[in-house]
Amino acid sequence: MNARGLTTDVLLGIVPIALAVALWQAISSFGYAPVTLLPPPGLVFARLAQQLLTGTFQQAIGVTLFRLFAGFSIAVVLGVGFGLAAAASPAVNAVVRPVVRVLAPLPKVALYPALLLLLGFGHESKITLVAADALFPILLSTYYGASMVEQKLIWSAMAAGTPRRQIMFKVVLPAAVPSILTGCRIGLVISCIVVFLAEMITSTEGLGHLLVTAARTFQAVDMFVPLITISLLGLILNGLLQGLRAWLLRGFPEV
Amino acid sequence: MTMVRTLISRLAPLLACLGLLGIWQVAALVLNTDSFPTALEALRAVPSILGDKESLINIGASLRRMAIAFSVALVVSIPLGLMMGRSRLVASFFNPLLMITYPVPKAALMPIIMLWLGVGDIAKMLVIFLGVSLPVIYHSLQGAKAVEEKMLWSGAAMGLSAPQRMIRIVLPAALPEILTGCRTGLVLALITMVTSEMIARQSGAGNILFNSLDMGQYDTVYAMIIIIGAMGIGIDAAFEKLRARLVRWSEPGFDLPLSFA
Repeated sequence: MNARGLTTDVLLGIVPIALAVALWQAISSFGYAPVTLLPPPGLVFARLAQQLLTGTFQQAIGVTLFRLFAGFSIAVVLGVGFGLAAAASPAVNAVVRPVVRVLAPLPKVALYPALLLLLGFGHESKITLVAADALFPILLSTYYGASMVEQKLIWSAMAAGTPRRQIMFKVVLPAAVPSILTGCRIGLVISCIVVFLAEMITSTEGLGHLLVTAARTFQAVDMFVPLITISLLGLILNGLLQGLRAWLLRGFPEV
Repeated sequence: MTMVRTLISRLAPLLACLGLLGIWQVAALVLNTDSFPTALEALRAVPSILGDKESLINIGASLRRMAIAFSVALVVSIPLGLMMGRSRLVASFFNPLLMITYPVPKAALMPIIMLWLGVGDIAKMLVIFLGVSLPVIYHSLQGAKAVEEKMLWSGAAMGLSAPQRMIRIVLPAALPEILTGCRTGLVLALITMVTSEMIARQSGAGNILFNSLDMGQYDTVYAMIIIIGAMGIGIDAAFEKLRARLVRWSEPGFDLPLSFA
């Protein structure tokens, strides 16, 4: 029953995607849109497959992935660190809370020109922007996860003789892991989006740059390819994170 | 004592602003390069932008596009999200499509949409609409899913039809979660607005920002950053007030934005 329900779900989910592709195909094959504006899906995917095998395209993916991971890792380290510190210490909390309140709703893309002027057009400015954007969801969910830890758990650990310094790493951090991972997932998707945008604005390499070059020369096919690639990358990274989550939380009651 | 404390907690964000501006000022004085003016110099350039009629029209146009796209996104996404949360059929129909489109940078669609719709308002509003929709759908779904079955059963027993149950039970019960999604969506709308105008340089706040960057008017660049940042903080604070008023009955305490994506 359950397996059958699952298959129906999958089948049902394919329908709108198939419909979208069919509509796309229909629009281009019935001539409603010229190929220069909307290339047929077959052409786009053939081009994608062809591009994936070329060295320059792989290099672009590599550059984008490097920036994405560098920024995301910085965001995870800072976000988890500050989140835990803010949950544990009232003094840190008093400083972090208002600063986050001000910085979190600030549109970080607007800071990008300043980052460009300060850090140059290379990796640094992009990595900083990715880190700045991914930081806050991770920080906030760490903070909420750590401050929601049941007091009883901490008391029992203390009663069992755990030193105060170790409670952070032995009780609070593990208990906050589900929430931290949720934040990481949001941060990861944001990283994907932001790294692409930053490369679109000013860059000499990377997937976003490929899109802009294609747009400048009106190569519609080549505009779709980097977009599909970043979407695929996002899905793959998301899947990996889900796998990591399942492995990390294998003992937890609900995942 | 409590009054002093509330006063301090009210003033804390303001103090944080001043602190950040102070750090900026010191950093600029230490670095002392042409491309990084001090906070005071940048603040001094703000009135000249806000006093200029052309820039005001640009910023107004940005806000208008954002408001329209945001409202349309809410009207479409909230019912969709609620239905996805209540019906497994609807959820499994739309879920994979949303999952695929989630990591696509919406503003990156701008060049393609521009090919079809031109550089005008519609292309930009469509991009903002796409950016706002996903978080609102997601949070509405979560909210609708968490509604207690018993309340729906009682509603049905008292003779409410399915659409009535949706409006009178599910919608209010999911409202706190929906508003969280809206808050996320609002920040995203601002981000997409700036990026879309940066790609289609025709009008708007993003246009001023990146044009002055290209022309090397660094004072204007930093002043625009301050203005856009203030817009973000202001809109978020105003929405938070509205949210607190609308869902006063639900558990208090989330005075920080929970997530934004």
